[in-house]
Amino acid sequence: MEPLLITGTLLLAALLTLLMKNLRAIELISVSAAVAVFIAALKIALGASAPRASNPDGFFSIDALGAIIALTIAVVGLAAAVYSVFYLRVEMAKGIIGFHRVRQYFILFNLFLLAMLFAVMVNNPILMWIAIESTTLSTVFLISFYDKPTALEAAWKYLIINSTGLLLGFFGTLLYFTPLGEAAGQGLTGWKTLAAHAAHLDPMIAKIAFVFVLIGYGTKVGLAPMHTWLPDAHSKAPAPISALLSGVLLNIALYAVLRFKLLTDAVTGGAFTGKLLLAFGLFSIIISALIMLTLQNYKRLLAYSSIENMGIAALGFGVGGAGVFAAILHIIYHALVKPALFFLAGNIFLKYSSTKISRISGVISALPITAVLFLAGFLAVTGTPPFGIFFTKIYVLFACMTMYPLAGFIAIAAFALLFIDFLKQAMAMIFGEKPAEMPMGEISPPLWAIPLALLATVLLLSFYLPEFLLELITQAVEKYAL
Amino acid sequence: MNMNLQFLAMTIFLTTIFFHIIRRNSYTASAYAVQSLAVVLLLFRSFLATGSLSMLLTVILVLAIKVFLALHLFSNFVKKYKPGVSATAYLNLPLTLIVVAALSAFAHSRVFAPLAAIVPENAALLSLGIAGMLISLLLMVNRKGILSQIIGVLSLENSIVVFGLFAGLEQSAILQIGIMFNILVWLIITSIFSSMIYRHFGALETAEMTSLKE
Repeated sequence: MEPLLITGTLLLAALLTLLMKNLRAIELISVSAAVAVFIAALKIALGASAPRASNPDGFFSIDALGAIIALTIAVVGLAAAVYSVFYLRVEMAKGIIGFHRVRQYFILFNLFLLAMLFAVMVNNPILMWIAIESTTLSTVFLISFYDKPTALEAAWKYLIINSTGLLLGFFGTLLYFTPLGEAAGQGLTGWKTLAAHAAHLDPMIAKIAFVFVLIGYGTKVGLAPMHTWLPDAHSKAPAPISALLSGVLLNIALYAVLRFKLLTDAVTGGAFTGKLLLAFGLFSIIISALIMLTLQNYKRLLAYSSIENMGIAALGFGVGGAGVFAAILHIIYHALVKPALFFLAGNIFLKYSSTKISRISGVISALPITAVLFLAGFLAVTGTPPFGIFFTKIYVLFACMTMYPLAGFIAIAAFALLFIDFLKQAMAMIFGEKPAEMPMGEISPPLWAIPLALLATVLLLSFYLPEFLLELITQAVEKYAL
Repeated sequence: MNMNLQFLAMTIFLTTIFFHIIRRNSYTASAYAVQSLAVVLLLFRSFLATGSLSMLLTVILVLAIKVFLALHLFSNFVKKYKPGVSATAYLNLPLTLIVVAALSAFAHSRVFAPLAAIVPENAALLSLGIAGMLISLLLMVNRKGILSQIIGVLSLENSIVVFGLFAGLEQSAILQIGIMFNILVWLIITSIFSSMIYRHFGALETAEMTSLKE
């Protein structure tokens, strides 16, 4: 019932937005749709966490990890919808965009949310692939939203690299249907059916299929070396879209990889897929650490931080055991912290009209609340106590050390470098003299209240996990930790 | 092995090589239409075998989108942006052909042997499908023109469809229709994007797109 409600609501919101000629009505439709989706996603999560919750093999089927990811999409989607309203109002007031662009924005915004949630909820791997490809198609015009050469170039790179990657992922997906024979072409094959036949999969085919899936969906996750599109796309999109791209879209592609990991592990054991995830994860962390030091754009800094955090999650899922528990918690925390940081980056952009770090100084004077929150977000995302990412990083490192000590040491060195990189860049922006002609004060209260709410949620979840969420994480760990 | 099947598979494979040899974009667009037509005929063969009406609908959709619409869009593209449409490559032709040969050999190597063995009687055709995929990937990275990149992606998709057909991994008609809808949207988006890129950069070459310095 709830998946249908989510699908219908977002589709209707996109259609109504297309027909509307009143800006306030468009804003109201999108925010209302996001509220309805949040309630439905919460209901899905509560339902999935119930003891002995059945997971029917129908058109929609949501497991515990899927329910967690759907809930994070709904939370960040709601935050982004509200933030977008106030962010775009400022851009309209500045004459950067007009009514038609705002309408186009909200149509694509709702379709983007729809594609993401559909990918997590649908029970067929091919439909999941179609939905993930649809996330690319619905966001490409959002990345090129400002119609500047840099944004166009970033969007083109995003479109071509992701389409190619996803086609390779599609090829890998098809290979998992080999044990089904002619039954592959009849009806919609669900994940449970594939899992039931996985034992008959040729181990070599399973390995090749997983390599294609990892390269394909891994491109969308932003795992190095397939990450090249991500810093460009995430830095050129409007701030609320960057928040969704970095905070939740990457998790969906990672979720796809994990679902195929389960099928592969059924015939090859966990070592093959685990080592691959560990290698790609570690490489992503190293690449981010090395590149972040040289960055001159704060939105790219946040984008590279997303590559690092996806690397940590991949590392956790790769090592298995306690690493899986930490990785799931990590993607939850990251899904909330990174959008908060992108929203705050949006505030800085609105004030300074630049994303270049060299042109930003004295944020603490110009935007005092934004500056304090940005600092808190920086501490949270780099894994400084008391924020939860500190604990998840420690757990992942411990799990890694016990199995692959060298990889653990390399990761520690990279984390230290990343902290220094981020600290150096954040300090340069926050402190120093603000431009003399720049007025002091925040632009609009909701623009800092929304990131504040997200950061407060992260802090709360760092010490207290609601029972339903803990139950979902436990179920997900049981399923995904081999 | 059925001679017709072999002919269609060879047509698809040879067009992927042809994309690398030709230097005129109008021929590239036509070659893609020929390649897609071969895919349509393969799908039509499936329809004849099953008699499924939904499969017939899929065949019609593939014909309409990949053959007629794509040809129409690409021909307009070439006419409209003729001065800015490049067909140049990073590697020269002899070197490109050497890489194509190496990729074909790799597709027939032990690495992909398990995939060729999915349907042993179609082993050669399955290897051709894999070779087609690798050669399409090369097209995307070797050519500077945006049209070649677009056709590289679509040719990769055709090669995967062919592999799926010969491996007996054909999906149900409803899923194929969903995939075709995605391709339709993809084609429309790339067309709109091409005009936006031309407007900003005055050319349709990736080498001209150098705004992203960092």
